[in-house]
Amino acid sequence: MSLISNTAATGETISLAGVSKTYMTAKGPLPVLRDINLDIKAGEFVSFVGPSGCGKSTLLKIIAGLVSYDTGTVEVGGEAPREGREDIGFMLQQSVLMPWLNVSKNVELPFAISGRRNGNTPKRVAELLDLVGLTPVAKLNPWELSGGMQQRVALARALALDPGIMLMDEPFSALDEFKREFLNIEVAQMADKLGKTTLLVTHSISEAVLMSDHIIALGANPGRVVGEIKVDLERPRRTNMVGSARFQEISNEVRVALAADLEGVQ
Amino acid sequence: MTNTILYRAGLPTSVGITLIGLWQILSIVGAINPIMIPSPWDIAIAFSELVTRGYFWQATWFTLQETLYGFAIGVTLGLIIGALTGTFPMFRTAIYPFVIAFQNTPRVALAPIFLTWFGFGMTSKVVMAAVICFFPVVINTVAGMASVGDNAKMLFRSLGASRAQTFFRLTLPGASEIAFAGIKTALTLALLGAIVAEFVGGSVGLGVLIKELNFQLEVAKGFAVVLFLAVIGLTLYGLIELLERYLITWKHD
Repeated sequence: MSLISNTAATGETISLAGVSKTYMTAKGPLPVLRDINLDIKAGEFVSFVGPSGCGKSTLLKIIAGLVSYDTGTVEVGGEAPREGREDIGFMLQQSVLMPWLNVSKNVELPFAISGRRNGNTPKRVAELLDLVGLTPVAKLNPWELSGGMQQRVALARALALDPGIMLMDEPFSALDEFKREFLNIEVAQMADKLGKTTLLVTHSISEAVLMSDHIIALGANPGRVVGEIKVDLERPRRTNMVGSARFQEISNEVRVALAADLEGVQ
Repeated sequence: MTNTILYRAGLPTSVGITLIGLWQILSIVGAINPIMIPSPWDIAIAFSELVTRGYFWQATWFTLQETLYGFAIGVTLGLIIGALTGTFPMFRTAIYPFVIAFQNTPRVALAPIFLTWFGFGMTSKVVMAAVICFFPVVINTVAGMASVGDNAKMLFRSLGASRAQTFFRLTLPGASEIAFAGIKTALTLALLGAIVAEFVGGSVGLGVLIKELNFQLEVAKGFAVVLFLAVIGLTLYGLIELLERYLITWKHD
């Protein structure tokens, strides 16, 4: 498939060592991350699960270079994080589509901004729309699409420059459960096929288990790693795995890791 | 049934015809003093006389020019100051308190001062129109720029957009819907500013004409000019709505 073959970008490694972050607020310092150590292999799918306040979004923004960190070292594809890297695709809870651009122009946005728009761009945009199943609505406006379809446009846009790393900050949490599971499977299979390193922030344990190779359980106040769970379900992932005994076991492991931390706090 | 054109256009039309008919009948039976409120028929006759006079069309053209020049100047300055205020926090801190203070001052009170500064000609009216329509444009431009979401800004940062790219591809189109609402208000206000300035002192214009006609107790003609101003106001508003539809294609209900 041309999307994979025409560029070299396969997954990249990400490593964090001793990373801490404290926000200065009006009420004083607020520690959000403490001593985070992570080694993520190229092409791995890793989810971060935890209660609100565990700093999982901040962690993703640090890797994207959008937020600074206080101590430790971070390496993303062998380099220090920096915002606006073309090898990182970023997806947020909201689709954040430009209402003045139609679907295909929204997907074209990263090409326009990076100055990489050329004669080949329309073909690439068409490929991306095909990949996420949006070809029939390419000329429609964002507000004419359902929430799930809007998020697909955001996915195509994040994949536009064929990044080695995909960062996803709760991209499915605004969708209803049916659409959500459907898109979970699709994205998991896509990440497999494209070989990208994918980091997903979520507060849904089953979503994390369904999609990931590894799950990092984070405790809150300040955010720190309280468990690392390997997901050894076979790939490609399928919806019916949710009912399997192994799926339940892994989900419970995650739940136990998170609960143990909560009890420790109380 | 409530959505048919017949209902939505027919109902207000019949209300209008009924009210005008009632007004005409009350005038005929002498229940309304024609010196105070002339009958609709008299106003129509007065208007048909006015449109044959050169001075009427000269006044119309003069007031239109004052309104449109004032509008153009006020909107241009408003957009520039609004964009600077929305872009540079220091500019905002330095300037915006004054904008808000002036916004809450009745600006027509400045008309006599502008008359002293710029004389009885067109300039004092253009300045009044410009000043009065400047503020809603500034305030709506600032509000429009502030309405651009943090998530969109973060997305642009993650895409490595430059300041100029973020401005032209995100802030400008993102702010335009709200800013344009200010521009629409500004057009109505520009006409108001021009007329008020003409009342305060001028030699030509529809405002001047209304004053003179009232003076001569030509009340029916005075009413005719007021109604004509209403038509001008509606026409201008219709034109700017068309422009909005052309520019802001993504606005939807």
